[in-house]
Amino acid sequence: MTGTRVGMGALGVVAGLYGGWLLLSRGHDFLDLAEWLVVGVALHDAVLSVVVLALGAVVLRRLPRAAKAPAVVGFVVLGSATLFAVPVLGRFGARADNPSLLDRNYWAGWLTLAALVVVAVALASFVRSRRRRT
Amino acid sequence: MPRPPSDADFTSRLRSAAVTARVGLWLGICFGIAFVTGLISHYAQNADHPLLFPTSPSWGYRFTQGLHVVAGTAAVPLLLVKLWTVYPRLFLRPPRELRRLVLDGLERVSIAVLVAASIFQLASGTLNSAQWYPWAFSFRATHYAVAWVAIGALLVHIAVKLPIIRRALTSDIESTVDDRPTATVPGAVSRRGLVRTAFLASGVAALAVAGGAVPFLRKVSVFAVRSGEGPQGVPVNKSAAAARITDEMVGPAYRLEVVYGDHRTSLTRADLQEMAQRTESLPIACVEGWSAGAVWTGVRVRDLLDLVDAPTGRDVDVYSLQPSGPYRHTVLQGNFADDTRTLVALALHGEPLNRDHGEPARLIAPDRPGVLQTKWLSRLEVSA
Repeated sequence: MTGTRVGMGALGVVAGLYGGWLLLSRGHDFLDLAEWLVVGVALHDAVLSVVVLALGAVVLRRLPRAAKAPAVVGFVVLGSATLFAVPVLGRFGARADNPSLLDRNYWAGWLTLAALVVVAVALASFVRSRRRRT
Repeated sequence: MPRPPSDADFTSRLRSAAVTARVGLWLGICFGIAFVTGLISHYAQNADHPLLFPTSPSWGYRFTQGLHVVAGTAAVPLLLVKLWTVYPRLFLRPPRELRRLVLDGLERVSIAVLVAASIFQLASGTLNSAQWYPWAFSFRATHYAVAWVAIGALLVHIAVKLPIIRRALTSDIESTVDDRPTATVPGAVSRRGLVRTAFLASGVAALAVAGGAVPFLRKVSVFAVRSGEGPQGVPVNKSAAAARITDEMVGPAYRLEVVYGDHRTSLTRADLQEMAQRTESLPIACVEGWSAGAVWTGVRVRDLLDLVDAPTGRDVDVYSLQPSGPYRHTVLQGNFADDTRTLVALALHGEPLNRDHGEPARLIAPDRPGVLQTKWLSRLEVSA
């Protein structure tokens, strides 16, 4: 196993250095990129993670026992979908000259998904509370 | 006075290597798929093909690029859940002994690079597919370079963690062998429940965008950047207005120049319409992951090259009427130029091309990124 690990690690270092060399050697706007790399990690580690921790401490704790698990599942599904849907929900890339771009009603889609998640969470919570009583 | 958090403050037994490894396995698979399909797309967009890029199957690029975007999107929930399970490790106290301190520092640097590159790839890819470019760097070159950084850091990470990964994947999910001592409090869901939740969220994410490339999923893909509609039933990436195409450019003065050394010919729209017309069913597959099947009618590129006696196997420089932009000039490699399905299309779905689809004439070739399917053609030039 040591051989595999050393080989894999060495291959990884070479691939990573190649990427770094591509970034540094091709006249990229490196400062702009570095800012994006750091901001991405900071947003995850210092904002998103803290918000999730706070939600766990404040909201999850107050939910009835039967609703906790369904709420967590619903939160992960809807939360992650909302996160990657930000660019289409905001339609930041929309252009007046091209109506075929970003041409769905994304908020209607989001509300439908959210409604499905809420109904599923409520149903699952109800079933679990009934099961617990019997 | 509040002290900084320590890893011991995180007590959920869901934050366990048993969960991390299971979610991480699928995250790694998504990254692998995105990396390979990304390399294919990058190569396909290069002008120079030392190794010929195949022209068949005609839906090849449609498939690989659709897969690229779906795999990247499916990775988002997996990455978030995986990072949640290892978040306490961010607050681990560094070891005191020098040798271990150095190793720990090196590993942390590799993790920082991996996390930064991963978040960057998923975020920049998602924004780019929605044509939102709030940055100064070139997307294609940067997304490509950072992909190498991400895959390299991922290989290093797997190499470092391989013993733990093996142990976690081969033992029961409830095993606590690699858990932190304080990770003992049961979570709201079971460990298996959390892994399944990550897979469910990943599946929902994939479905929410896959309709951009898979027509029968259009109705459920609520976050796809295209509905699949557009002029003549096909979406448009760059409109004629955005490319600054004027009425005069495509009016009676329009000519398509075909050049091979001293041999040259200049064709009007009527000239093109009088040549043998071919109809081909070829998808238009955008680098942003969406695609659409379409039926094109026009003149075979090879028939046009024969007018100027251009030999086979030669690359063709393709020019657009658009006054500027990176795709004003593209290279049509010899194997694409000679493929009998490659057309200078004059019509789409039986009607003359809409201005936004490249009126009066556009290039359409099988298995090719959409950005290279040059619209508003002005010149085809074979170097002598």
